[in-house]
Amino acid sequence: MAVHSITVKKLISRVRLVFPDAPEAYIMNLINDALVEIGMYKTKVVHAKISTVANKMYYNLADGAQDSSNNKLEVNQVLRVYLMDSEDDYIQIPRLIDKELLLADIASEDNLNVPD
Amino acid sequence: MASNIKFPENSAMYFIEGDKLALLTTVDSSGTGRNTARKNLKAISESVTNGILIHYYAEPNTVTAITDSLDIDNALELSVVDYVKKCLYMDKAGKSADPNVMQTSMAMANKHERNFKDAIQRYGVRKKDKTGGSRVVKVPNLI
Repeated sequence: MAVHSITVKKLISRVRLVFPDAPEAYIMNLINDALVEIGMYKTKVVHAKISTVANKMYYNLADGAQDSSNNKLEVNQVLRVYLMDSEDDYIQIPRLIDKELLLADIASEDNLNVPD
Repeated sequence: MASNIKFPENSAMYFIEGDKLALLTTVDSSGTGRNTARKNLKAISESVTNGILIHYYAEPNTVTAITDSLDIDNALELSVVDYVKKCLYMDKAGKSADPNVMQTSMAMANKHERNFKDAIQRYGVRKKDKTGGSRVVKVPNLI
């Protein structure tokens, strides 16, 4: 039995009961605004794989960042990080609380932003 | 290609800096520990395809066609209707020259905004929570 869910078309028809002249493109923009807002509240859990690069410390998680299959990550909040071990298994690694590293390795930081 | 790191839980760690994930290890490319205590935390020393697996909260996909479904739990879909109506009522209030229409529209905008916030912020997690079943506590092995 399929669950009930609404498509954009059904949503527009609901809105047009009250606002019959509302443009379709505008309603779709508002729907996308709502989805961005809803995305802030932990609604979609995703996993992705990223390839490590030797001597690269910083990996991009910005909106345009991609995983190793070139899919956009679209990260809001990282839950857990795993690293592949010598037997091809993914083992969860801890998050470092203290970010005050003694070593600043410029070769590792090529993915950080530089001033324009 | 497999990694040379045998125990990532002991020799690797990460932190988040802005929109970057920093990956640090205490081992070199052969998997043996660095012997300089001052400089033992460095970037990973090897390139591994699919070496990192991350679990994260992601943004729902945008809709581009009227046949698209919303990329959220169906328990939250009606809140999108509230959001859209809220915006349209606010637009109506802003465009109207009639103070009565303006006031009514603002009241309706507030009503839909409250519905949206209640659905997402107050009850959103509870509405789509799928946690259930018997529980167990796994004590970490500290030896």
